[in-house]
Amino acid sequence: MINYKEHLLSNGLRVLANEDECSAMAAVNLLYQVGSRDESSERTGFAHLFEHLIFRGTKSVPDFDGPVQEVCGENNAFTTADYTNFYITTPKDNFETALWLEADRMMGLDITPEKLSLEKSVVIEEFNQRFLNRPYGEQWHTLRSMVYTRHPYRWPVIGITPDHIRDASLEDVKDFYERFYNPSNAILSVSAALPAERIFEAAERYFGSLPAGRANTHSQESIIEPAITSPRRHTIESNVPADQITIAFLMEPRGERGYYLCDLLTDLLAGGESARIYQHLVRQRQIFSAANAYITGESGQGMLILTGQITPGTSVEEAEEALYGELELLVKEPVGDYELRKVQNKFEANITFGELNVMNKAMNLGYYSMLGDMSLLNGEIELYRSITAEEIADYIRRNLNRNQSATLIYRSKR
Amino acid sequence: MKRPEIHPISLPRVPHYEVTKAANGTPLYTLHNSTQGVVRVSFVFRAGTSYQTVPFSASTVVNTLSEGTQNLSGEQIAEGLDFVGSYYDANIDRDWSVVTFCSLGKFIDPTLDIAEEVILRPSFPEREIASYCAKRKEQLHIQRSKPEQLSRELFGKSLFGENHPYGITSSEEAYDDLTPELLREFYQAHYNAANAFAVISGDFGPEVEERVKAILAALPEGKEASREIPPLESVPFAKESLEGAVQSSVKIGIPLFSRTHPDFIPLQVLATAMGGYFGSRLMQNLREEHGYTYGAYAAMINLDQSGYFVMSAEVAAEHTDEAIAEFFNELERIASKPIGEEELEIVRKIIVGDVMRIFDGPFGAADVTIENIQNGERNNYTEHFMERVRTITPAELLAVAERHLQKNRCTVTIIGA
Repeated sequence: MINYKEHLLSNGLRVLANEDECSAMAAVNLLYQVGSRDESSERTGFAHLFEHLIFRGTKSVPDFDGPVQEVCGENNAFTTADYTNFYITTPKDNFETALWLEADRMMGLDITPEKLSLEKSVVIEEFNQRFLNRPYGEQWHTLRSMVYTRHPYRWPVIGITPDHIRDASLEDVKDFYERFYNPSNAILSVSAALPAERIFEAAERYFGSLPAGRANTHSQESIIEPAITSPRRHTIESNVPADQITIAFLMEPRGERGYYLCDLLTDLLAGGESARIYQHLVRQRQIFSAANAYITGESGQGMLILTGQITPGTSVEEAEEALYGELELLVKEPVGDYELRKVQNKFEANITFGELNVMNKAMNLGYYSMLGDMSLLNGEIELYRSITAEEIADYIRRNLNRNQSATLIYRSKR
Repeated sequence: MKRPEIHPISLPRVPHYEVTKAANGTPLYTLHNSTQGVVRVSFVFRAGTSYQTVPFSASTVVNTLSEGTQNLSGEQIAEGLDFVGSYYDANIDRDWSVVTFCSLGKFIDPTLDIAEEVILRPSFPEREIASYCAKRKEQLHIQRSKPEQLSRELFGKSLFGENHPYGITSSEEAYDDLTPELLREFYQAHYNAANAFAVISGDFGPEVEERVKAILAALPEGKEASREIPPLESVPFAKESLEGAVQSSVKIGIPLFSRTHPDFIPLQVLATAMGGYFGSRLMQNLREEHGYTYGAYAAMINLDQSGYFVMSAEVAAEHTDEAIAEFFNELERIASKPIGEEELEIVRKIIVGDVMRIFDGPFGAADVTIENIQNGERNNYTEHFMERVRTITPAELLAVAERHLQKNRCTVTIIGA
């Protein structure tokens, strides 16, 4: 349970404050409502590249990290398909340093051609490290391009190719900055053992004079990804150490009931050691050496994923059958109360464990505010508790069959 | 906008534990933090991989404690923990194993019912062990196609020696030779009162303490585990090619000593300056100036009977040689010129900030306590550590760097192009 108070600045900046009880630290989180879904298909990976660039200094604060370090702070950031998130933790009495730094770089970013060129090479090395220089590294590029035909979720956050990053121009950087990095498009959330009024007052002082700009409505929001209506399949033969199968289904956006059904369903299948896929397919039948089921969690139409690394001696066909078999079982014998309660309990525990430090709390506040329905912040557990076995069976019957799937298979050449 | 004034930062208060002993002498450390309604119990054993004589036996023991006990099947254990949303973790390093149970306060009883079985009565059932070994063998095979795994293994054996308990690696096939009998032997020798302690942290009452104490009291006495640590057989350079690699995984290490050595804390400070934060020397040089890498790091690693200084990065394949040259430039610089007072002040703040962040949340104090006890210290070690960091001088650091951070003592390993 996260308590919070909310305050809106006249320039549109939303401010949320959680009054923590005991921590010596303050967490300051700034979320911009822009992600890889807002990129043009010719400049993919740009939102993430920009996240790097915004650490490159402004005219008044050329070295962003210096002032953070001087107050024993730590900062980092990440980019998703839907938003870009920056966070700083400092000892609580010094939280204003974080506000000052974030307000400063919302206006005065100073990117030179040299800085841009250097950051491009860093991001290309990140691309290499995480996606090219490892087995199965290209799987998300391939799978996303199979599942999505129109929606910008068809490329991963890192981008389609390093070439798009190489091609980014200073002009692109300026446009993006002006369009998305402004108070109307941002959410500031703070968790600290400080009175909310003190946090709001400081937010006014540092951000209040910034020009509003516009909120991003995600111009692509109107793009609805059409349903998959016949099986999509792709096989990659490569030098990977084991065969692997990944089955993806298109999901409903967060906030809709189908989203929570899928989340709970994947927990029945793979949420913990006692879950079905692990018990049946890894432990008992030994079809997979590792297997998983999860949702990718975008705020728009994300994916439900079933995946596993196949044990030597088991055929890909048998593995695929086994995964569908688990779905069919949930239709034939709807899940019992005990098992349903188990995954619901797990949600409750995970929510509690996820709220143990100031950083997670500040981050959650920002995220749920972005979703536009703060009642979900502490209310999702009730949604999970309201789901029934029949609903799950019905959902699987309607949505999770071969005709609605995209399947990516790796065959090992070993 | 004017920069806010900097408020003085008070050093974090290190929580102090209470210690009691179970009837057989096994120590139990408790740390109360009553705000969040969660409890964590960790059982710690002198049972790390360096104690094993049969490959993979130490990790298999700790990972299969929950695969079946005298009174519960593996499935029942998993089921029981998942039902109340409790979190179970079995962890192993080269010296220790740690088995942790974490639950909502209201579910600590059923969680400890299972903990008792897992810690005291594992049965290592034949079928489950065979299944575990087959799975792990396959997973290790998969891991070994990844540069970071290959790099870790090559570095370990190059720094310590191929047969050294801290550096040895074994073939995947060694999993085929593990038997329940071998596992039981290792369990009996290491999971006993002479080699154990436990830590409870979070929100709990005396009844939880009594229950954990009763589990500890039921451990057989045993005798303190020991093993032969032979002299190191480091090699200066090792390289393995990886087909199609676009990056090289580079590690550079110097074998040194454990945390008990007086130079250890100064070396931690030096490692932080070198590669322990975003503004560190390696990060600035290899990432920010040259763009060779996404990240470059340095650390001082503590082991029970040894320790080492290490620098690492995944670098663009075509810049491997230049990147290594820059690592050495930085090593030479830190061992020949005193750190500026300004830089040192930042490093101090990074370290204090890291400690503060560990103590944010109810369980960080447990981790710190475990580490201190493992090293034969109490939690005032952490205060001593911060005091040492606060007062250390550039001249002292330079002297330590001159003594230990020498190029000719380095082991360089490369996986990749």
